[in-house]
Amino acid sequence: MERRIRVLLLTVAVAALSGCATVSGWFHHRQDARDEQAQAREDARRAEQSPDDDTTPRVVDPQVERRKIRVPKIRSANIELGVNYGALSVEDFGTNPSYGVTAAYHITEDFFFQGEYGRTKAGRTSFETLGGNIQLLTPPERHFTYYDLSLGYNFLPGEAFLGRGLALSSAFYVLGGIGATDFAGDKKFTVNFGAGYRVLPSDWLAVHITVQDRAFQSSLLGTTKLTNNIEMRIGTTVFF
Amino acid sequence: MLCLIPVVGSAREHLQVFVTTPYLELHTGPGRGYPVFNVVAREDSVLVLFRRTDWFKVRTQRGVEGWASQRDMLKTVLADGSPFTFDLGDRAGFTSHNFEIGMFAGEWGGATLISTYGSYSFNSQLALEVAGGQYLGKFTNGEMLDIGLTHVVMPEWRLSPFLMIGTGILHIEPKATLVQPSVRTEETAYVGAGLRFYLTRRFFLRAEFKSHYIFTNLNQNQRADEWKGGFAFFF
Repeated sequence: MERRIRVLLLTVAVAALSGCATVSGWFHHRQDARDEQAQAREDARRAEQSPDDDTTPRVVDPQVERRKIRVPKIRSANIELGVNYGALSVEDFGTNPSYGVTAAYHITEDFFFQGEYGRTKAGRTSFETLGGNIQLLTPPERHFTYYDLSLGYNFLPGEAFLGRGLALSSAFYVLGGIGATDFAGDKKFTVNFGAGYRVLPSDWLAVHITVQDRAFQSSLLGTTKLTNNIEMRIGTTVFF
Repeated sequence: MLCLIPVVGSAREHLQVFVTTPYLELHTGPGRGYPVFNVVAREDSVLVLFRRTDWFKVRTQRGVEGWASQRDMLKTVLADGSPFTFDLGDRAGFTSHNFEIGMFAGEWGGATLISTYGSYSFNSQLALEVAGGQYLGKFTNGEMLDIGLTHVVMPEWRLSPFLMIGTGILHIEPKATLVQPSVRTEETAYVGAGLRFYLTRRFFLRAEFKSHYIFTNLNQNQRADEWKGGFAFFF
């Protein structure tokens, strides 16, 4: 039994010593590798210095200057500003002329981001017309003003042909977003959605026909209901 | 030889780039569906007139004008042989860009909020931000304008958090049905934090929380919390 333990201990001792030898060799190996790297760096440094130290005369001394390119800024024409005129049907208050402004930024060829502001003056409800002298709203309260932000998607880009020789790029688009409507002395959270057609007579000019609905909750006529206020407008925009 | 041709300048100076692929396709409009009506041969040059979204309007040496895609223009070179580089509007642009614009819907002190913002980035982490919004409540409506700094903590992450601090003004309009409506404008200050998540192309989602301190003439200042989410794009 005792002998067996001795054999075991001896085996462990031999194994440990050989392990140390391996580690010691590994350290030596690392030292060699470091020396090699230092030598390589020294060689590279000398190689870099050599052109300066080169005293042999050159046959041809190159006088070529590298041509410098001045890169002019490329103009982006993604912003579209415009005015529009149309008719806006204020629910229960008749259809009246409307006018507005739009500002859009074209993010990709498919999507654009648009802000809209417009106003109209609401007419009389049938209740007021039939009731004689009844006035539901004062004249300043009849101003209907909207402003909103929408995301548009050009879903049918194409070309419109005028005769044989003229092709204008065009697109049908859909848009939707959120905003507010100031009407009857109150501001209401408004959701808008619509569609339009844009045709570009030139690269910087566009003509739009747009139909857009603006929906908001109203309790003007006694009950709270969702009113839809549809606008059809024609506009012109300029790209910057 | 081609490198020695000077840039033809009209009223405005345009960049001249050279085609290195077998040909450069010119489309009739700035969109993938518009037909190709002309090609520019290898080593010929075009003048870059302007850019609209991912398309470049170019003029060939023969005076033909057409639209070249961003993908094709990436393969052109400048007169000195260096590649023509430009802002691509990709994931790298999300990390580092100049401008952002976005729109949000949310809640401001319990009222419905609609809001928009624009920012200018000094570097990939720090931006100056202007935000405008309107809340529409039961008893009051209000408009606000904030200006402040935004610090993006990890701009290279697809989902990256950011911190905000700034000041602003708040215009409060009590509804006319109240007994003594008084319109007032107050100064505010805010701190906030949020997350932005890159979607695709130039788009990203953004959600944020702002805690506003409203400096009133009353005995104590008021506080209002703003939660909102929406989308934004960079350029």
